[in-house]
Amino acid sequence: MTALRTPDVPRTLDPHQPPRAATRRSGPRRAARKTGLFGWLMVAPAVFHIGLWTAIPVLATIALSFTDYDIFDAPAWIGVENYVEIFQDPVFGQATWNTLVYTFWTVPASMAIAMVIAVALNQNLRLRTWFRTAFFLPQVTATVAIAMVWLWIFNPQQGLLNGVLAVVGIPGQAWLADPEWALPSVILVGAWQGIGIKMLIYIAALQNVDPSLYEAAAVDGAGPIRKFFAITVPMLKPATFFVLIISIIGAFQVFDQIYVLTDGGPANSTTMMTYEVYRSAFQNFEMGMASAQSVLLFLMLLVMTIIGRRATKGDEG
Amino acid sequence: MTAEPLTTRSLVTGAHEDFVAKPAGRRHKRWVGRLILNLALTLGALTMVVPFIWMIATSLKSPAELAEFPPTFLPKVWEWSNYPEALQAAPFASYFRNSFIISASHTVITLVFASMAGYSLARVRFRGRELVFLGFVAMLMIPTYTKIVPQFLLVKFMPLFGGNDILGQGGSGWLNTWWALIIPGGLSATAIFLFRQFYLSLPTELAEAARIDGLSEFRIFSRIYTPLIKPAIATVALLTFQESWNNFLWPLLVTTRDDLRVIQVGLAVFQQLDGTQWQYLMAGTTMATIPMVLLFLFCQKYFIQGFTNAGIK
Repeated sequence: MTALRTPDVPRTLDPHQPPRAATRRSGPRRAARKTGLFGWLMVAPAVFHIGLWTAIPVLATIALSFTDYDIFDAPAWIGVENYVEIFQDPVFGQATWNTLVYTFWTVPASMAIAMVIAVALNQNLRLRTWFRTAFFLPQVTATVAIAMVWLWIFNPQQGLLNGVLAVVGIPGQAWLADPEWALPSVILVGAWQGIGIKMLIYIAALQNVDPSLYEAAAVDGAGPIRKFFAITVPMLKPATFFVLIISIIGAFQVFDQIYVLTDGGPANSTTMMTYEVYRSAFQNFEMGMASAQSVLLFLMLLVMTIIGRRATKGDEG
Repeated sequence: MTAEPLTTRSLVTGAHEDFVAKPAGRRHKRWVGRLILNLALTLGALTMVVPFIWMIATSLKSPAELAEFPPTFLPKVWEWSNYPEALQAAPFASYFRNSFIISASHTVITLVFASMAGYSLARVRFRGRELVFLGFVAMLMIPTYTKIVPQFLLVKFMPLFGGNDILGQGGSGWLNTWWALIIPGGLSATAIFLFRQFYLSLPTELAEAARIDGLSEFRIFSRIYTPLIKPAIATVALLTFQESWNNFLWPLLVTTRDDLRVIQVGLAVFQQLDGTQWQYLMAGTTMATIPMVLLFLFCQKYFIQGFTNAGIK
């Protein structure tokens, strides 16, 4: 242990270096201090980077949310005025509602479908890996590119969707240009893209379910539906919690497809909280307002995560 | 599985000479069930794949064919010249190169610094380690939008860059530079967290043996432990590359110059300017999509490992 060396690192950088006299102390403690130095040096670049580009910005966001700031003049402290204004702003209210609707359909609803697909794919099917690849494909593709393709599919004049509907005799819609249909269309794209990751996590979790549970249930005469609700769903609870949390975080941050598909319109029917943050900050240059909006976004996400935790982890504490 | 236990139901319904007939009947029922299952899954899988085929098909159609309604699915005449023409219509090649440079840089930075931090948090004892780890975990949950405004301001007011003075005033800072595209997104708390998990799964005895052999701590990290997590490195590398390649908002905010645009932003700009030229737009979209699709198809194992490993322990 005393032979321990850290030749790559200058010693003086250690923020916890004890007074010089301590160097005379005996072997193990000196080794421990050297390891401490090594540990800090290894983690230092990451601490610096995450500190500068994540931790400080988060704190700055909170501070800026109490100011009026347009980048060109110094920020002016205005207390909670931004928050008061947000609560009176019908567009932000609409954005919050849209975000919740979007989250409802792309998270719990998609999760249920993903779970069924995962169970189906857990059978010993010949085309299993092909199916899995197909369902996961949209997940690895850029949302912007995906949105571009769907923009074209939804195109009222030459799009695939209205084309298929015309063949079966259903009148086409204006989809993204129609305030009634725009949000459902955006939700469809989000659900379509996000189903793969949910399914994948469920497939991984299913492999840890003890097959003897199903055998025991079969002996007791349980049918496939009964097995699904009595064994599969409870055994997948930890996975469900995980999927729920990452999906809510993802859904609350929907932005790219809104930017490409609808620009928040028509008549604000598809604007989201993130989109309002973007508009305030980078179109209106109201940095204080944008910060207050993003603080609210974060708080809502926190509340949703806690609710999600209660809902899926209730009995484990 | 064919030798199913004799249940009360089979005794009631099956009558006497059932022992031969019943398994055959069940097999038939299972066969039908499988067919339905396969059909349903095929339909679902097609829903996933058809938009991609439609994208490629559109990129090869002539403008005249695109104007038809109802639209043709596959092109009647395959217009391969759409691709060189798309490259003329917008500098997709340069967008593509920029995206590649940025994604590759993010991957390298992440692999080096996140693995170091992850190893340190998993295997080195130092004062304040728990605190540092908790700090990273807290940062895991921070949404992009809760940090984007100050991140933009940091870039804009970066001292001594882009004509800024020491206080960050007077110029454009890192806006419209490679710095802004590469540095802020170079490292993520997620990657550090993943590396920590991977290093934790390795036995500590290896390090003890190496220390007795007189290896330095850094060599224990770089020569003993890191080679053992090669699959994990591949996973983190692919996830980082993919995320970086697909990133849109940050490059949109910090660049306005065409020669610094990444492919995702380039697509959006092209759509806004020439939105009606669908064959070129879809050719560009295909070019933006194909690298990730190929990477995924060839490295599926690592992708799947990464996406599932990220949280389930």
